[in-house]
Amino acid sequence: MTAALTLDGVSKRYGDFQAVRDLSFEVEKGTICGFLGPNGAGKTSTIRMILGLQPATAGRITILGADDGRKVRDRIGFLPEERGLYKKMTPVDAIAFFGALKGLPTGEGRRRAREMLDAQGLGASKRKKMKELSKGMSQKVQLIASVVHRPEFVILDEPFSGLDPVNQQGLEAMIRGLAADGATVLFSTHVMQHAERLCDKVVLLARGNKAFEGTVAEARATTPRFLELEGAIAPDQAAGLPGVSGVEVVSEADGVRVLKAGLVSGGRGQDALKAAFLNGLDVRRFELREPSLHDAFIGLTGDNPDQDQSVKAAEAAR
Amino acid sequence: MKRTLLIARREFAAYAKTVGFWLSLLAFPIFGVLGGAIPILMKSSEPVREVVVVEEGPQAAGLAAAVQTALKEDQARRDKQRQEAEANIQAAAGGTSGGNAAKGALSGLDGPKIAIVAAPADLSAAAPGAAREAVARHYLGDEVDKADRLDAVVLLNRADGKPTARVWSRRATDSSVQRFVRTALKEEYRREVFEKAGIDATVVSSTAAFDPDVTTLSPKSASGGEVSFRDQLPMIIGLASGFILWSLIITGASILLNSVMEEKSNKILEVLLSSASATEILTGKVLGVALLTMTVLLVWGGIGAAGLIAGLPQYAPMIGEVLLSSGLLFYFAAYAVGGYLMYAVLFAAIGAFCETPRDAQTLMGPIMMILVVPLLVMQMAIRTPDAPVVQIMSWIPFFTPFLMSARAPSEPPMIEIVGTMAGMFAFALLMVWVAGRAFRAGALSDVKLSWKAFGAAIGRGR
Repeated sequence: MTAALTLDGVSKRYGDFQAVRDLSFEVEKGTICGFLGPNGAGKTSTIRMILGLQPATAGRITILGADDGRKVRDRIGFLPEERGLYKKMTPVDAIAFFGALKGLPTGEGRRRAREMLDAQGLGASKRKKMKELSKGMSQKVQLIASVVHRPEFVILDEPFSGLDPVNQQGLEAMIRGLAADGATVLFSTHVMQHAERLCDKVVLLARGNKAFEGTVAEARATTPRFLELEGAIAPDQAAGLPGVSGVEVVSEADGVRVLKAGLVSGGRGQDALKAAFLNGLDVRRFELREPSLHDAFIGLTGDNPDQDQSVKAAEAAR
Repeated sequence: MKRTLLIARREFAAYAKTVGFWLSLLAFPIFGVLGGAIPILMKSSEPVREVVVVEEGPQAAGLAAAVQTALKEDQARRDKQRQEAEANIQAAAGGTSGGNAAKGALSGLDGPKIAIVAAPADLSAAAPGAAREAVARHYLGDEVDKADRLDAVVLLNRADGKPTARVWSRRATDSSVQRFVRTALKEEYRREVFEKAGIDATVVSSTAAFDPDVTTLSPKSASGGEVSFRDQLPMIIGLASGFILWSLIITGASILLNSVMEEKSNKILEVLLSSASATEILTGKVLGVALLTMTVLLVWGGIGAAGLIAGLPQYAPMIGEVLLSSGLLFYFAAYAVGGYLMYAVLFAAIGAFCETPRDAQTLMGPIMMILVVPLLVMQMAIRTPDAPVVQIMSWIPFFTPFLMSARAPSEPPMIEIVGTMAGMFAFALLMVWVAGRAFRAGALSDVKLSWKAFGAAIGRGR
């Protein structure tokens, strides 16, 4: 497959603060790539460098064959992390305006805007002003505005933030639709579940460094499966079971504990279960669990993706 | 270019489509008209004050007559002035409606409206002093019928041979009768003193009324000799141009500042930057607001021209001639472009760092202080356009548009016109470059605005 985006040894430094360090990865044409990491990991800085809004301190970026995102800006759609549209414009006018900036004739932009708003269930809000729309509606309008010109490459910075579960599902469907139409999608998020459901490939970023690049399955495979045990059972009793390595207490109440016990490579759940039964352990629930992307992220980086690593403080300091 | 025009069009439409813009646009001429008309209306609707003048005994004999005579003379003097003014207007206007309008305005601006009426019998009959004052109070109060009510009672007397007066007024704050009586008594006393010195009373009054005929001449006047209103017109136009330019530039630059701040706070700038370059955005916004400013100028100019043609048609061709013949229109346009460019890009760059007006205050304070300076110097530039301080300040690009607009009618040396204009445009281009860098950096920055951050952003560019 041909790469729509290539980053080669890209770094970004703000004064003394290293926001992105020696980052390299590729996104193939027509795929959905998740760019994952906690807030402040360097995702937005990287996206701004890809778009050419900020220069890289070092390294090389190639997008749609160009060495500067600004040269191909009409072929890119971008949804920024912090969203906003002109409050006094109607959704149709706003979408047509941003489409026109990307070279779409205004008339065609308005036609597509109406069509896409109808498809997203916003037909009744077409004539309202943006300030009259709910946050979820505004985000949908902004997403439409960023793709109305049918870009070849779509970059979405934290597209799910602030959306309720229903709208998150709708947005996932839109992203799948964009990819089905042949667009390459790169979206950043710190919520791993979206990436698990959507992505052909993920790039994990932690403290400005790439922690992983590959498919979701490959990411999960980096982390061992584990057992979840519930009952009046002590951690050292669980640790003594065959194939088990490392036990942590998830919760404890009235002498009943929930334990998470890692399985060593080649370790089998049924051996551990049999031993627990033979040893007369009080096990009331026994589950063999596959690791999630969230677990894989923690395993790969030692960071929790839900925790903030904000660079903003560093940026403010400079 | 297409993106620049799209941004300019949106910027223009965003304001031009609002009712508030047209209201504020029309507010200036409306308040201008009201500002001129209200004093005239107030004056013309002012009631005539009915005043009684009473002498407090034989020692005050003649003072009431003197006050009465002063009132008649004052009225005669104002009538004469009005007739002369009317004659001048009629001569220039050829008896059109404009002349009539001006005539009405002049007659409405006459002095205090006072009518001396006969004293009520009980007031005349009352004993001088406290008893008469008690009656006077009665006639000034609300308990008296409106028909019998007086506005003022003047009790005339003498102390050490000099005229004195106690003015009882219906309204405590109305000092017009008191002022008039003071002047009349001063005049009477002077007449008496001169008379005692053996000088004829008619000589005294004619001397006091003497108004020398002073003619102003200048080799630079249109006739090469006597200075007429036509010669003063460029100066008036220059001052007006300077002020209009100042207010237009400030209005335009402020609109731009607010627009960029709104886009920054609504997170629109980042989306715009992914669709257009910082230069295209800045140029588009500056152009859009320039169109808006031109709309304001055209509307103000249109209203002003229509008002001039309807109200003072004799001056309209004269003003048109001055604007076209002296190249003032060209100067005004050139200084407007240069001045607007300088301030607009600077304000836009500041806006790119700010999300609220409070954020902008750090930098706007010193800039507004700079902007007040030309307002103060402009008046001096009109009176003494070649004063060294005015000449030097005209070379400072931030002041050039306003001071040179005001000085242009006095025909400063060509080297100054060309030099200051070149300096202004060179500096405007520098400002475009500086502001472009600051705008690009500010648009994506969360850094709190300060002079240090602003300077660093200019150095870094993005």
